[in-house]
Amino acid sequence: MQPKKARREEILDRLEEAGGQRTGVAKTVQRQTLVPEADIFGVATFYSLLAQPEAGIRVCQGLTCQLAECEHLKSELEADGKSSVFASCLGRCDLAPAFWDPEDESQIDRAPGSPSSPDLAIDLAAPDSLAYEALHKAAEKGPDWVVGELEASGLTGRGGAGFPAHIKWQAILDQPETERYVVLNADEGEPGTFKDREVILRRPHLVIEGLAVAAQCLEARDIYAYVRGEFGRVRAALEEALQAARKAGHLDDGVTWHFVDGHGAYICGEETALLEALEGKRGMPRMKPPFPVEKGFRGKPTLIQNVESIACLAGILRRGGAWFRGLGRTEPGTKLYCLSGHVERPGVYEAPMGTTLRELLAMADGVSGTLKAFSPGGASSGFLPASSIDMPMDFGGLRAAGTMLGSAGVVVLNDTVDMVWAALTQAVFFEEESCGQCSPCRIGTQILRQALERYRDGDPGALAYVQDVAWGMGEASICGLGQAAALPLTSALKYFPEEFGLASAPGGSTTS
Amino acid sequence: MTSKRFVIIDGNELSFEEGETILQAARRAEIEIPTLCHDDRLTPAGACRICLVEVEGANLMQPACATRVSPNMVVRPPTPRVTRNRQFTLSLHLADTIQDRALAEDSNPSRLHDLAERYGTAGQWVPVDSPRPGRPSDDNPYIQFRPDRCIACSLCTRYCDQIEAVSAITLAFKGAKTTISTADERSLTETTCELCGGCIDVCPTGAMTEKAALAWGKPEMDLEKVRTTCNFCGVGCQVDLNVDRAANRVVKVTSPPPGTTVNDGNLCVKGRFANDFIHHPDRLQDPLVRNEAGELVATSWDEALDRVSKALLSVADEHGNDALAFISSSRCTGEENYLMQKLARAGFQTHNVHQCAAT
Ligand SMILES: Cc1cc2nc3c(=O)[nH]c(=O)nc-3n(C[C@H](O)[C@H](O)[C@H](O)COP(=O)(O)O)c2cc1C
Ligand code: SF4
Ligand code: SF4
Ligand code: SF4
Ligand code: FES
Repeated sequence: MQPKKARREEILDRLEEAGGQRTGVAKTVQRQTLVPEADIFGVATFYSLLAQPEAGIRVCQGLTCQLAECEHLKSELEADGKSSVFASCLGRCDLAPAFWDPEDESQIDRAPGSPSSPDLAIDLAAPDSLAYEALHKAAEKGPDWVVGELEASGLTGRGGAGFPAHIKWQAILDQPETERYVVLNADEGEPGTFKDREVILRRPHLVIEGLAVAAQCLEARDIYAYVRGEFGRVRAALEEALQAARKAGHLDDGVTWHFVDGHGAYICGEETALLEALEGKRGMPRMKPPFPVEKGFRGKPTLIQNVESIACLAGILRRGGAWFRGLGRTEPGTKLYCLSGHVERPGVYEAPMGTTLRELLAMADGVSGTLKAFSPGGASSGFLPASSIDMPMDFGGLRAAGTMLGSAGVVVLNDTVDMVWAALTQAVFFEEESCGQCSPCRIGTQILRQALERYRDGDPGALAYVQDVAWGMGEASICGLGQAAALPLTSALKYFPEEFGLASAPGGSTTS
Repeated sequence: MTSKRFVIIDGNELSFEEGETILQAARRAEIEIPTLCHDDRLTPAGACRICLVEVEGANLMQPACATRVSPNMVVRPPTPRVTRNRQFTLSLHLADTIQDRALAEDSNPSRLHDLAERYGTAGQWVPVDSPRPGRPSDDNPYIQFRPDRCIACSLCTRYCDQIEAVSAITLAFKGAKTTISTADERSLTETTCELCGGCIDVCPTGAMTEKAALAWGKPEMDLEKVRTTCNFCGVGCQVDLNVDRAANRVVKVTSPPPGTTVNDGNLCVKGRFANDFIHHPDRLQDPLVRNEAGELVATSWDEALDRVSKALLSVADEHGNDALAFISSSRCTGEENYLMQKLARAGFQTHNVHQCAAT
């Protein structure tokens, strides 16, 4: 039990200052913060950037980077005498094989995919503007108008869940509690996803303006921007934009802005794990309800919104909710689709919600080779076969098809890819990134990875009960990670049964 | 305070108290819901997922241990989905630990195996062999952590934090490696640990166990529990001596279950572990008095008490009552301390009376 005066929220920063977990560091941080030493050790060992402080360069071992022979990159680094370790997706799949050198982030600097156009909600290629018209308009018209426009726009969360934004905003306005928080989720970690990185690098003012609108509308006095630790330049761009906006006199001095680094844990993109990290704890998702709009950061009403969602606000308020809604095809708005893998021109393409893979591939100069399969929304969405090339990619339609749009990390696979290998690559990711809190995910991800390895190594019976395990993971896991973690395997079994030695798709229950 | 609000569980309409969980309401009505990571004394973790039930209106099954009841909530009787989840969870945990019951229960009984027997499993799965680190060099004298049996339920860490308020142990590492550790993986004796052994008592799998009992080699269920009162202090904790009848030996001491005795499932290091005096060869079993040659020899209680009273009276006679002082032990109860001061004040008219715990 920690003493009342303990300052737990500080411990991640203190651990970072101390250079990560080494013998004696927990004791030092305990003296500084009064948090029990064991708890500090438990936190330090949870986060990969703190647990392995001297690992050197991180080489991405995500699916896209494996297609681009990341092993080769790692051996080259080693030949150059640079120490390196493999890491989960680094949010640079357009640059595969990607790496993160904490000393030098020059690798991330690239032109966005789609050309500028007035019919795009974000429009990455347009010059960023310091006008902050939406913020001033929102101040004038008040919270009800803002929420009304949000509702008219039909904006749904771009972080993966597709939850209507206006419902969260209204829920916070309805709370009697007046200590409220706004949190930006810039922890972008879903394999195949790198759009939030581009939004902040290209249009940081859209993000600052959106956050300022949120704080003003919801009467929050503190804004927290949680930026993944491997995005040093991204955080810097955001901080720079904040300074500029402040200098230009757009911002309310009564609002405090906090920038918080992630420390290398994919699960902290899950909103309640993110809150735990902000509170200086192991990033284990909370049980819901209560939802963050009711009990979030420090137990107070909290708005958590993805970077892309926040960046849509300025356009919505400036040009009207109806305008935004009209941009979409099957659902409201435009959407940032991240294309990587076997495509000629990987990048972030903004297109109407409901655009098909065929159209996206045309924007990205086509497939490298012959299309075999793709993930529509990151590792968590599993795989779809080439025959789904004309399926509109939106939240509702993909959900109905047993997959999801998620973060729209579209990974394209050509016919050289072995689906057993692809499913195994994703299984390794989920096993590595499970927080380990609940048994279906902690144990289930290991069972699936081991079964796939045994199958690959020639044991035809190795997949005997994986459908049962997948069922339980989908039904009983606490959070979306475990609920989705079996999908790469079950979808590969469904669409490519012959690669698993089956004549047809397996019957029985799958996750839904 | 019971309000007039109702919840329906398995078809029974039950009243419930503000803030109660589905599990608490169900248990009051003697409706059984299995749990592995739950203890009424601790905040719920919702980690093991065996307690999931179907609540009308919710898509996903909900953890009974952590879900608060609300008016008119309807909890369905165990549907095939709920039953399947129980069996799934049990197969999962068994694959991750020790599937063979006799081996799993080499020392402590296993709630996991109990439940597997009662509810059945989804089949025996290939062992997972999780890479959970232990602390093999932890040389504390009493507590052994065996990571291959740990289900990462965090009962031990929550106990250490919320009941002992010690926080010596923690969930450490992440994912498949998630384990129980101490700061920098040190021995318990080099942490804030008070060696209360509560972490052993709450562990549902025997992953936390007692070194001495493990070395003795007989499973707990082959030992006979003899209820007695701890004689180390005046609190009066109830303890169960776990006796190996064949060897006529106390192998270990456990606490009666929480909620049944004054100590509510807790013990301190003395009550739980300081029991090696019982079978120690130097243990005094009779009163000793000195013979004429000045050697200590065994005698009867009558003889011993007679010698004491004669000696006290002769000191008082020769040197006055205030030449005597009476000091009682911290192991005495309040009643015994009362009698001691009565002896001093009423018997010998002296105020020279003290108790060793009163500093
Ligand atoms: C395992 C997991 C990882 C997630 N990672 C992210 C992430 O990196 N970025 C993000 O914005 N949302 C992520 N989410 C979704 C968040 O929980 C949350 O829904 C989102 O931040 C809410 O913002 P939005 O409504 O604007 O999308 C993740 C969810 C899960 C289950
Ligand atoms: S599903 Fe996985 S990541 Fe989510 S809480 Fe459970 S163990 Fe953690
Ligand atoms: S013996 Fe008691 S104080 Fe020590 S770790 Fe176990 S529960 Fe905590
Ligand atoms: S040691 Fe026992 S009580 Fe502690 S987490 Fe493991 S199984 Fe649970
Ligand atoms: S007893 Fe409810 S999740 Fe373990």
